Amino acid sequence: MAVTTYSSTSVRFRQKTTTRWLVRGLGVLILALVAWRVVTVGLAEGYPATFWMSQLINGLVLGGVYALVALGYTLVYGILLMINFAHGDVMMIGGFTGFFALQFFMALGWLQGPAALVALALILIVAAGMFGSVLTGVTLERVAYRPLRGAPRLVPLISAIGASLFLQYSVLLIFGVSPRVYQKPALIEGGFRAGGVFVPYTGLIIFVTSLFLMLMLYLIVQRTKLGRAMRAVAEDKGTAALMGIDVDRVIVFTFILGSALAGAAGVMLGFHNTVVKFNSGFIPGLKAFTAAVLGGIGNIPGAMVGALLLGVIEAIGPSALGIPTEYKDIIAFTVLVLILIFRPSGLLGEVVSEKRA
Amino acid sequence: MALLEARGVTKVFGGLVAVSQVDLTIEERMIASLIGPNGAGKTTFFNCLTGLYKPEEGDILFDGRSIIGLRPDQITALGIARTYQNIRLFGSMTAIENILVGQHVRLRSTPLGAILQTPFTRREEQRAEKRARELLAFVGLTGKGDMLAKNLPYGDQRLLEVARALASDPKLLLLDEPAAGMNPRETEAMMHLIHRLRNELGITILLIEHDMKVVMSISDRVTVLDYGKKIAEGRPEEVRNDPRVIEAYLGPGILAETHP
Amino acid sequence: MLLPSVQRGLRIGAIAFAILTYLVLVGLPLRLGDLALPILAGAMALFFWLALRGGKSKQDVFNRQPALLFTAGLSGGLTAGLLIAALLAVFVNLTSSGVRLQPIFDKMTPPNLAALYGVAPGAIVGGELSPLAWLQQALLLTVASGVGAALVLVERWARGRPTPRISALRWIPLLLPIALFLFVLWLGMPGVTFGGNNRGTIRLLAAMVTIGAGILALRAAHPGRERQLLSLLYLAGVAYLPFTLDQFQNSVLGIVFIFVMMGLGLNIVVGFAGLLDLGYVAFFAIGAYMYAFLSAPFSSPWLSAQLQSLGIPANAPLLSFWMALPITMLAGWIGGVLLGIPVLRLRGDYLAIVTLGFGEIIRLFMLNLAELTNGPRGLLNIAPPYLFGYNLGNPRDIFILGLIGSAVIAFSAYRLDNSRLGRAWIAMREDQDVAQATGVNLVRTKLLAFAIGALFAALAGQLYAARQTNIFPENFSLFVSIDALSLVIVGGMGSIPGVVLGALALKGLPEVLRGVDEYRIVTFAALLVTMMIVRPEGIIPSTRRRRELHEEAEPVVGEDVPSVLERLAPELKSDNPDGGKK
Ligand SMILES: Nc1ncnc2c1ncn2[C@@H]1O[C@H](COP(=O)(O)OP(=O)(O)O)[C@@H](O)[C@H]1O
Ligand SMILES: [Mg+2]
Repeated sequence: MAVTTYSSTSVRFRQKTTTRWLVRGLGVLILALVAWRVVTVGLAEGYPATFWMSQLINGLVLGGVYALVALGYTLVYGILLMINFAHGDVMMIGGFTGFFALQFFMALGWLQGPAALVALALILIVAAGMFGSVLTGVTLERVAYRPLRGAPRLVPLISAIGASLFLQYSVLLIFGVSPRVYQKPALIEGGFRAGGVFVPYTGLIIFVTSLFLMLMLYLIVQRTKLGRAMRAVAEDKGTAALMGIDVDRVIVFTFILGSALAGAAGVMLGFHNTVVKFNSGFIPGLKAFTAAVLGGIGNIPGAMVGALLLGVIEAIGPSALGIPTEYKDIIAFTVLVLILIFRPSGLLGEVVSEKRA
Repeated sequence: MALLEARGVTKVFGGLVAVSQVDLTIEERMIASLIGPNGAGKTTFFNCLTGLYKPEEGDILFDGRSIIGLRPDQITALGIARTYQNIRLFGSMTAIENILVGQHVRLRSTPLGAILQTPFTRREEQRAEKRARELLAFVGLTGKGDMLAKNLPYGDQRLLEVARALASDPKLLLLDEPAAGMNPRETEAMMHLIHRLRNELGITILLIEHDMKVVMSISDRVTVLDYGKKIAEGRPEEVRNDPRVIEAYLGPGILAETHP
Repeated sequence: MLLPSVQRGLRIGAIAFAILTYLVLVGLPLRLGDLALPILAGAMALFFWLALRGGKSKQDVFNRQPALLFTAGLSGGLTAGLLIAALLAVFVNLTSSGVRLQPIFDKMTPPNLAALYGVAPGAIVGGELSPLAWLQQALLLTVASGVGAALVLVERWARGRPTPRISALRWIPLLLPIALFLFVLWLGMPGVTFGGNNRGTIRLLAAMVTIGAGILALRAAHPGRERQLLSLLYLAGVAYLPFTLDQFQNSVLGIVFIFVMMGLGLNIVVGFAGLLDLGYVAFFAIGAYMYAFLSAPFSSPWLSAQLQSLGIPANAPLLSFWMALPITMLAGWIGGVLLGIPVLRLRGDYLAIVTLGFGEIIRLFMLNLAELTNGPRGLLNIAPPYLFGYNLGNPRDIFILGLIGSAVIAFSAYRLDNSRLGRAWIAMREDQDVAQATGVNLVRTKLLAFAIGALFAALAGQLYAARQTNIFPENFSLFVSIDALSLVIVGGMGSIPGVVLGALALKGLPEVLRGVDEYRIVTFAALLVTMMIVRPEGIIPSTRRRRELHEEAEPVVGEDVPSVLERLAPELKSDNPDGGKK
């Protein structure tokens, strides 16, 4: 049988894959530029050491909050391999719930009372935020994600984008445009000085609470039966199901854990930024996602490290690079883009095995 | 000059040496077989040849030039095409479209040409389509060109993969278990097709196969891999009786029992 | 069986209650006015119908027995009715006793509550609501649930009957657009009164429905003569539209078709090549800003200083609209390649997030690079297009330009789809590794997708800048990307007519429904989620996408022709773990 063939064209290629080296070189170049800028501009500015210390503290506080949110992204990604785009908005709902709880305790007069009562009220406010977020997160999973399990990956992502918009603009419609102002109880107003550096009480409380919650999460994931089941499902859904694990239940549990952390973060962010608004979860959500990617998405310790690092970069970055603080969002996005391009597996993530064919 | 010459090819996954110091030479118009137990590293070796993996060590010469470090599409352009052990067609495209994608490296039309439908583009598309139908007929799928690849019966999908590979006008065709999961009659037909690929189109063939009957009857030369290493090589009869090969396939101790 | 069906009813009722509460909280009753209660009840009947008909085999047990069906329905309705009535009673009591709910719930005003009961707001403030209104509330919802249950029965009965096949019926969808078009013309005639003050809006809506119906009709037509004839007819009709519509209608359709241009570009990136781009607005912005720089250099402090230092007068456009076109296109192309290169190695969701980051970075730069972009104060006095000295900046001509632009882009996209490059895009979307091993140069193919998509977006951006004459960074927020993506998805990924339909539905309808504009985004959002669940392939799916998203093999001619090599039992397939696609 006749099969026409093409006259064999002589084909010549460059021998080595130069792209990889190009990319690496570019990475080194960027790092060098940043270092140069820091040395010639940031350090030349001559800020006192206490300035850098207080920036560092700011960064750690913010990083602690990011970590709580980042953990939600990482947990869900680890199990469902999807980016829960609406997670930042779940956090925002927590912030709102917390705000109403705050109003309630304010009205009860607890926040003007003795220290023990204030502490109890604060704990209950955080708990309320967690509750609000958990309710939202679980509903989200049930309505927007569960029906899409097994669909091509684009589909749940788009659904998540829809869910994110829905949450934001529903809050806008229900509660109105005006931001809600978190009033701090007088007791935790102010701060103390340690070695010439001012440490605000709220910052300290936020940081300690974040660490405590992260520890709790770690214990739950490592020590409890459900935590073990979670890890099993993350490893291999099919096998886990064969071993008698109720995958649906594990997924719901994952959303509960992630949302609870986000709710706490929402309340703390409310105290930190003093306001919550319908869209106040969006940018922090993106940043927390950045943090999760920075540490290696799907990796729990990675999310914590990445978040603290990002918080610090964001706090110190503008002064160190000598650029206006308006650009601090750009710094975070740039970090995200750079990490995804140069080290998609993140700082602590294992290098993904070569693609198979 | 040999068409393909692999020297000391080694591929490591983590701690696992999947392919270890493999040498392989293939002359033009040869039908060579690569056999070995599951997990011996045969598919991995194919992936090294086609540029999907970059071997840690060794060199691969095709037509006298090294192809290490080239991208898979560049290697395809040079004249190596392949099929996959578990069929990987473009399921939502028709059979003809699959073959047209196979011709991609041989076509020259540009996006602008496509938008303006220049005479060159139009002629090229017509020729490509004609050739796709010829290839379809060559593998015996006449009349099924407009069916979706994923709706074709299993055996036909295997044939379509061969046609798609042929579309890039290869000098060397790598077939990864082309007869896997086929019944004896289908296997027979596949063997016939492989012969025709060499005899009528002059294509050199390297195939991985488990069915010993196929391997023994079709091959000019057989190479045996075990745990990533080449343990034997030669004419089919020689390899068949090589004690190391029997041991690799049947496990140690077997020889002691059958040949007391 | 009775208890489970009551349980099911309670569950549905609780969901209905949640939905109702949501609708009341977002202030829908106020918008609906006098008709609030009946409309909400109607919506509930619809909801109960959908919820009760189920679809899963488990629920069919209930549907087989009308008694159980009605038990479930009515218990659900009663639950929802009582709960919502109780909740409303609480709200009303609080409001009437002087508690101001508004600091918390923005929409919980007396008029909103009053609309639900069909009373005057004064009755709410004065606490003069009779228990009868309360009861009427609860009852109406229960009735709605009964209607929903009945609908299930009616539907089943109708399903069981053979559908009448009248060949003449085929012509109705084909001729509907013509009838609609005539209606649009009639509405535009002087002296016609229809719909009172809303005549213009109704006409706009009718015009949009005409275009949409035309597209659907073309798809329903038999390929060949019939379709060609209809295409010509409809093309002529659409071409005539700008000349019969008024300023407002033309200006709305102008923006719709600018979004069609952008959507067609994004469709290449997302629909054809399968690269989810959430930062697409960047290219739209590049086009708009590039034209603005060329046309209104005096708005940019840096640019005008530069020009002055070169001795070029900066108080007039540097280039006309047409001369700027190639430059804008080039800028879009370069932008697409530059943003494409770093993300070449990323797949799926990572790609989405990085492109989103890029989009935001570009916007933040526009905002903060005030020297070049004039920051939030924007670039002003951009010149409209001129042709032979005739100003094309009016809504009608912009609409015509949008139509022409859309046609050119749609045509190009169609030809690309059926070309060597188009096949490579699909192959890459389906299996990147195999595509590459088959000979597709991934770098080139991806970059071409980004670049061509960006070029089209830049064109849309230029037209947008010319239409607005003033542009600001906030015109290029993330929401433009999301709008564009939504219309591509809603229309049907990879489907060219789908983009037009998507743009009409998502950009056009909200303009018509001016009053409910504040619900635009939540409606979108809910639509997006719903769409992903029930119809991920979009309104007009591209045939290929449909096949990808619905796994069940579709009947294809000749499907059960046996293999030349005989059909094989699937279990014979090699189950070797190696060489598998991860
Ligand atoms: N991408 C990969 N990552 C890690 N291990 C791999 C990968 N591909 C193959 N392997 C391992 O390499 C070994 C050889 O596999 P393969 O070449 O597929 O064997 P076969 O000879 O059956 O085709 C197997 O142990 C397999 O598990
Ligand atoms: Mg194999």
